[in-house]
Amino acid sequence: MESSIKKMNREDWADFINNLINNSTYEVIGVKAKGKRFIFAPLESADELRLDYDTTILPPKKYFLPQYENLLSFDLSKQSVNIEMKEEKRIIIGVHPYDIIALQQMDKVYFDTYIDRFYKIRRENTIIIGSNILNVSERSFATSMKAHTVTSGYDLMVTDIGSSIIIEIGTERGKKLMERYATNITDATEAEIKKIEEIVESIESKDRKLKVDKENIPNLLKRNYEHPIWRELSEKCLQCSSCTIVCPTCYCFDIRDEVSLDLQGKRIRTWDGCLLPDFTRIASGEVFRKDKTERFRHRFYRKGLYIPERYNFIACIGCGRCSIACIPDIAGPFNVINKIAEDSEETRGEIIFEIPVTRGGEEETAYIPRNGIIRRIEKLTEFEKLFEIELEDSIDFNYQPGQFVEVSILGVGEAPISISSPPIKKGSFELVVRRVGNVTNKLHTLREGDKIGIRGPFGRGFDVKKFEGKNLIFVAGGIGIIPMRSLISFILDDSNRDRYGIVTILYGSKTPRDILFMDEIKEWEKKEDVIVKLTVDTCPEGICWDGCIGLVTSLFPEVKWQDIENTVAIVIGPPVMYKFVIKCLDTIGVKEENIYVSLERRMKCGIGKCGHCQINGIYVCKEGPVFNYTEIKDLPEAFE
Amino acid sequence: MKPKVAFFDFASCEGCELQVADLEEELLDLIEIVEVVSFREIMKEHSNNYDIAIVEGSIIRPIDEKRLKKIRRIAKTLVAFGACATIGGVNKIRNPWQPEEVIKEVYGDIDFKDNEFFNVSKAKAVDEVVKVDYYIYGCPPPREEIKKVIIALVMGKKPDIPNYPVCVECKKNENICLFELGKFCLGPIARAGCNAICPTNGRACDGCRGILSEPDTKCVEDILKRYNLTYEEMKHRFTIFNYTLEEDR
Repeated sequence: MESSIKKMNREDWADFINNLINNSTYEVIGVKAKGKRFIFAPLESADELRLDYDTTILPPKKYFLPQYENLLSFDLSKQSVNIEMKEEKRIIIGVHPYDIIALQQMDKVYFDTYIDRFYKIRRENTIIIGSNILNVSERSFATSMKAHTVTSGYDLMVTDIGSSIIIEIGTERGKKLMERYATNITDATEAEIKKIEEIVESIESKDRKLKVDKENIPNLLKRNYEHPIWRELSEKCLQCSSCTIVCPTCYCFDIRDEVSLDLQGKRIRTWDGCLLPDFTRIASGEVFRKDKTERFRHRFYRKGLYIPERYNFIACIGCGRCSIACIPDIAGPFNVINKIAEDSEETRGEIIFEIPVTRGGEEETAYIPRNGIIRRIEKLTEFEKLFEIELEDSIDFNYQPGQFVEVSILGVGEAPISISSPPIKKGSFELVVRRVGNVTNKLHTLREGDKIGIRGPFGRGFDVKKFEGKNLIFVAGGIGIIPMRSLISFILDDSNRDRYGIVTILYGSKTPRDILFMDEIKEWEKKEDVIVKLTVDTCPEGICWDGCIGLVTSLFPEVKWQDIENTVAIVIGPPVMYKFVIKCLDTIGVKEENIYVSLERRMKCGIGKCGHCQINGIYVCKEGPVFNYTEIKDLPEAFE
Repeated sequence: MKPKVAFFDFASCEGCELQVADLEEELLDLIEIVEVVSFREIMKEHSNNYDIAIVEGSIIRPIDEKRLKKIRRIAKTLVAFGACATIGGVNKIRNPWQPEEVIKEVYGDIDFKDNEFFNVSKAKAVDEVVKVDYYIYGCPPPREEIKKVIIALVMGKKPDIPNYPVCVECKKNENICLFELGKFCLGPIARAGCNAICPTNGRACDGCRGILSEPDTKCVEDILKRYNLTYEEMKHRFTIFNYTLEEDR
């Protein structure tokens, strides 16, 4: 059998690299010196390549998920969109095993449900020539993370053993590349192959060692959510997010629209970081991870618990880049894990969760919205308008009550909006939108006939089948009634009504002026077996209101509850409302497993990738926004 | 109807306005979407009928306050433009002195007693005098950002100004951290949006776009020790553009 381990002498290796550079088929990237540090950058000649590097400032992820990338271009004057993606073929030389593993991890995320087209094309267009580590970075603990060697994920893997360059063939593509551009390739001798092992062993001996097996990290974190180390270290945190920017396994991104003076625009994807205070901020101004300790801890939990639970790998490969980049030197997982491991006897805050199983889209996504036409606009209150949307294409638009879409306005951006109409009517759907941010304010200025973009529907809605034969209690606070209307209208529709029991609707608004769907509510009230109770927080002078005044919880004693064992409750409202309502439901005897909630978070991408909407380890955009209460009740970040 | 835009300058070097003048051929795109009705640095016409006022400079005299308040009354939207206007900037370095001391330092013994032009107060950022709707940060503001804010105002959206530190942009540019090179840099706590232009060119960040968060004192001590830096170096960095912070500390 032909050996897959080859060798070249140093001159032939240099010729190989120079041939690749001089041939215009590929952009050739390699590790180069930058001051005393190293970076991946285009090579001008083989002399620049430094296989003896310790680690680079940024990982090679920048070639697959660039710092800034164009998702689509548009011309605002013509309202035209261009989705062309230009990507050249690339070779990256000198990628260390830990970075190869990091890319394989990134594949899991970006090839998970809704395959990211941009990432996929770059992955396919890039040849990876790995390099075994020759010099250990002072902050590395890659050996402990079992990431100092790798057996797949490269086209070629080279080891500079001094006398010659040893090349392991990883793929047919790598083999062909070598055969085409290199000369004097011979089989490596056993002694030379032995040399690789020696190099690996020497790396293992120099690397810093974790005090625990990497497999134990998730379990350690599960028991230490309230460990004092999170506050202690985060007090020194400058919140600069350098740790996430330089991390090869961090993949969170933001999307924003940029427009130039000549009205040409771009939708840009750029790296984001969960340490930044605005990471979880939504249009209304609400921030869901307010405290820097929470954000500091979140990064560790994401790497060491949440991602492992979801994808079955620890999202840290021990490269030590975060630790080098952190000015107060608090970001490195090495010290943190060791510290927690030292006092591992004690449990300091347990965190238990299971990721709800959901169906995701199998298709590729390029974040391209479908064209929707605004057919009808109705002003509901001072702040809310109803938009009836018809999609231009004839592809089916099937949704569950509780699901949401990303509404896109070119040049302004995207916003997650829940669907407010029941999935009965075909051909169009309704969105009820409060104007709070850029997108929704712009939407409010549009007219009937104007076009908007729609992505989705996304997320998990209400499983209406599960509610059959049950009595239903709806508790809505404020604009929580908007997604709820989709479900209520579905259930109260004549074609569905007999499959459901008594319907009770409790709806609290700020003032009588803020009550949405008043006409429909009056119709609901007229129906048999439907109880509707409304309340307002306050009633400004001069407004006629003969209903209740008080919080939505004050409506509970107003109802004569019956057959409560067979009752399901649906709760949607502002964050502060949930715990009080759930207490009321408990008092009247509704079982926890019969309570459903829908939660609001910053759902930017809608497909479980950008990271903004996470509640601990759960993506609201994917596993939610509708949850069974038992799925999230133990998550510290779920409720206020 | 194109919105009418007027540029105004107070105590400043007028370099921010120069950034607009330097848009060169893009000025043609600019006047396609807005009507510039006042801009002393590049045109002689002036009108008091405008929708958007873009204000450069710090407010340093009672007569400036009066003028600024008048601008505010006319403008539907007021934008603070550049470091002097947004955060007070270098003008604030003189704030620990009494106004008379400042006059004497600069002009000597000339008596300006009844001359309102020389009647100075403490230097203030624009928002210390009137309500500011939007901010264009920087010394000078990057041309890209000026364009971004103007187009946002024309489109009726809130400009997307970074609320994260310079480190984010600096790291994306793959620079060697200036702390590693023995410099005290405000990058970790200063507002980004400049694409980390100073650190990328080897100069420590002076925080000309303002400071986002005050670091913990203990943390600062640790950092100074870790990188072998002095308190004076740090103070110097803070003084240039962010004097108030230093004064309050």
